[in-house]
Amino acid sequence: MRFRSVATIYRKEMLDTLRDRRTLISMIVLPLVAIPLLYGVIGKFMSSSQKKAGEESSVIAVTGGERFAGLTEALTAGGFRIVPRADMKAAVTNGDIAAALEVSEAAGKREVKIYSDLTRQASEMAASKVRTVLDAFKENGYKSRLRALNMPEDVVDPFTISRVNLAPERKMAGFFWGMIVGYAVVLLMFSTSMYPAIEMTAGEKERRTLEALLASPVQRTEAIMGKILATTTACITTAALTLLSLVVSVRYTEFGKASAELRQMTSQVPLDANNLGLLFLVLLPTAVMAASLMIAIALFAKSYKEAQSYLTPLILAVVFPLIVGMLPGIHLTPALALVPLFNVCQLLKEILIGEFHALPFAITMASNIVYAAIAFAAAVRIFKDEKVLFRT
Amino acid sequence: MIRVTGLSKTFVDPKRGQVHAVDHVSFDVKPGEIFGLLGPNAAGKTTTLRMLATVMKPSEGTAVLNGHDIVREAEGVRASIGFLSGDMGHYHRLTPRETLRFFAELNGLEGARLAARVEEIIKLLDMQSFADTKVDKLSTGLRQRVAVARTVIHDPPILILDEPTSGLDVPTAQVIENFILNAKAQGKCVMFSTHVMEEAEYLCDRIAVIHEGKIKMTGTMEDLRAATGKQRLREIFLDLLGLGSTARRAHAL
Repeated sequence: MRFRSVATIYRKEMLDTLRDRRTLISMIVLPLVAIPLLYGVIGKFMSSSQKKAGEESSVIAVTGGERFAGLTEALTAGGFRIVPRADMKAAVTNGDIAAALEVSEAAGKREVKIYSDLTRQASEMAASKVRTVLDAFKENGYKSRLRALNMPEDVVDPFTISRVNLAPERKMAGFFWGMIVGYAVVLLMFSTSMYPAIEMTAGEKERRTLEALLASPVQRTEAIMGKILATTTACITTAALTLLSLVVSVRYTEFGKASAELRQMTSQVPLDANNLGLLFLVLLPTAVMAASLMIAIALFAKSYKEAQSYLTPLILAVVFPLIVGMLPGIHLTPALALVPLFNVCQLLKEILIGEFHALPFAITMASNIVYAAIAFAAAVRIFKDEKVLFRT
Repeated sequence: MIRVTGLSKTFVDPKRGQVHAVDHVSFDVKPGEIFGLLGPNAAGKTTTLRMLATVMKPSEGTAVLNGHDIVREAEGVRASIGFLSGDMGHYHRLTPRETLRFFAELNGLEGARLAARVEEIIKLLDMQSFADTKVDKLSTGLRQRVAVARTVIHDPPILILDEPTSGLDVPTAQVIENFILNAKAQGKCVMFSTHVMEEAEYLCDRIAVIHEGKIKMTGTMEDLRAATGKQRLREIFLDLLGLGSTARRAHAL
C-alpha cells in the first residue's frame, strides 16, 4: 500500500466534503449554533417557567382554618397568600389558585386535606410547601404543649435528621457531563459521518465517477482507506466541536440561578489537555468504526436516497446503547466494556468523573479497536467486490 | 498493444440463472489503430471494456495491455490506459483544474511535472476560461472536455472508450471524434465501443461485431463487406446478428 495514494484520495475527499453544504451544516453549524441555542432557549424557558410556577404556587385558599389557632398566620409567614374562594376544588382544577386547604372536624377528630392538581408544576410545588408548613406547625404545637407541662422538648423529638451528600462536586459534575457528552458527541458523530460516507460511495455510483477512480492506478485498499480517513476526520471534527460547544454553552450561557449552579458544578471538571487528550483517544476507535460501518453499508446502495434509507435506521439503533449509558447507577464492568458505544459512553463519563479503572479502560479500548478493525476490513472487502459495486 | 485471449465473464442472475455476458472473446489491437467493438444493447461491450480496464475480473481467459496482464498486473494495466465512458460523471464540487490534479496524482505525477502537465492539458483542450469554475456550473460540452482531459492527463498509450458519444449532442460528439482521431495520429491504441454505425464506419480501422457475448466477426470494412456481400455497415451488422431478413420485412411494411 502506498501512503501517497491514500493521501491523494484523502485530500480530494476532504476538499469535496468541505464544499458539501449538508456535511458542513451537520459538522459545524449544528454543534456550534444549535447546541448553544438549544441549551440557552431550553434553560431560559425552564428558568422562567420555574419562576412563574414559584410565584403562582404562593396563592392558596383555606376553609376551616379557624379550627386551628395560628394556622392562617403560619401559612402567611410561610410565604402564602390566602385568597377566598367559594368553590376551592374548582379553583384548583382551573388553575385559579395553586392549592387549597380544608380543615374539618368529625367526632372530635380534626382532619386537614390538601387539594392540588399534580399535572401543574405550581400546584405540585404549593402542595409540597403547604405540607412542610403544616409539619412545622404540628411540631410547634407539640413543643408548646410540652413546654406548658414543663417537659423537655426532646421527648417527642429525640434527634435531628440531616442528609449529607458525600459525592464531591467533581463527581457530580462529571456525572452530568458524562451523560450529555456521551449522548450528544457519539450521536452527532454518527449522524454527521452519514453524509460524507454516502457521498464517497453511493454518491460516486450515482454520479458515475466510480469507474474513473477504479480504472486509475490507485489500489482499492488505498482508495477505501482514504475515504474512511476522510469520514473519520469529519467524525472527530464533529466530536471536537460538539464538546467545545457544550463546554462554552454550560460555562458561559446565562439564564438565572440554575445556570449559575450548573456553571459552578461543571467548573469542577478540569477540561485540560490531559483530559481532552484522553477523551479523543477513547473516541478515535469509535470514529473509525462509525466511518467504516457507514461506508461499508452505503457501498451496497446504488443511489444517495437508497443509502440514506439504509443508514437512517442505523442511527436510530445507535441511540439505544447511548440511552442505556445515560441511566444512573450503571457502571462499566469488564463484561459491559465489550458492548460497543455503551462502553465508550461509560468510559467518557468515568474519565470526566475522574474515576476510571485500568481494566474496563483497557477492555473498552481493545474491544473498540477490534470492532473498528472488523468494520474497516468489511468496508475494504465490500469495496473489492464487483458484484456490490456494479449491482444492477 | 492489446491482446485479448478467450476472455469470458459469467455471472448468476436470480431470474435468468447463469449468464455468459462475455463468451470467449479474442482479438488484437495494434498501436496507432482504432478498433471498434460494435454491438446492440447488452451484447457484452461494456463488460469487455470493464475487464480490459481491470474494473472487473474475468471469469476465464485474459488480456495483455502494453505488456501487462489484466489479472496479474492490474496496476500496470491501469497506468497504461485512459478509460472514458459516455455517461461517466464528475466530482461536481471540484474545478476542472482540481479534477486534473487529482487524477494526475493518482497516476503518479508529482511536483513540477504534475503542474506542467495539468497546464499543458488545460491549454491543449482550450480550458483556460473555465479551469477554475466548479464542474457543476459547466455545460455538458465543457464537462465532456474535462472528461477527455482527465482521461489523457497521464498520456496513456492505450485509450479504452465505452460509448464515448452516447447521449451527447452533435458538436460535443464531434469533440470526442476529433479526440479519437488525434490519439490515433499520436500512435495511441484506441479501443472503443459503440452502437452508432456511422461513427464506427467513419472512425474505425477494424471492427469487431459482438452479440450475446460472442464475437461474430472481426475485420476492416472491406473484410466485413466481402464476408457478408453487403455495403452499408448497418446491413452488415444486421446480417451478422442474423436479423437481416427481419429488417427487410420491417422495411416492406
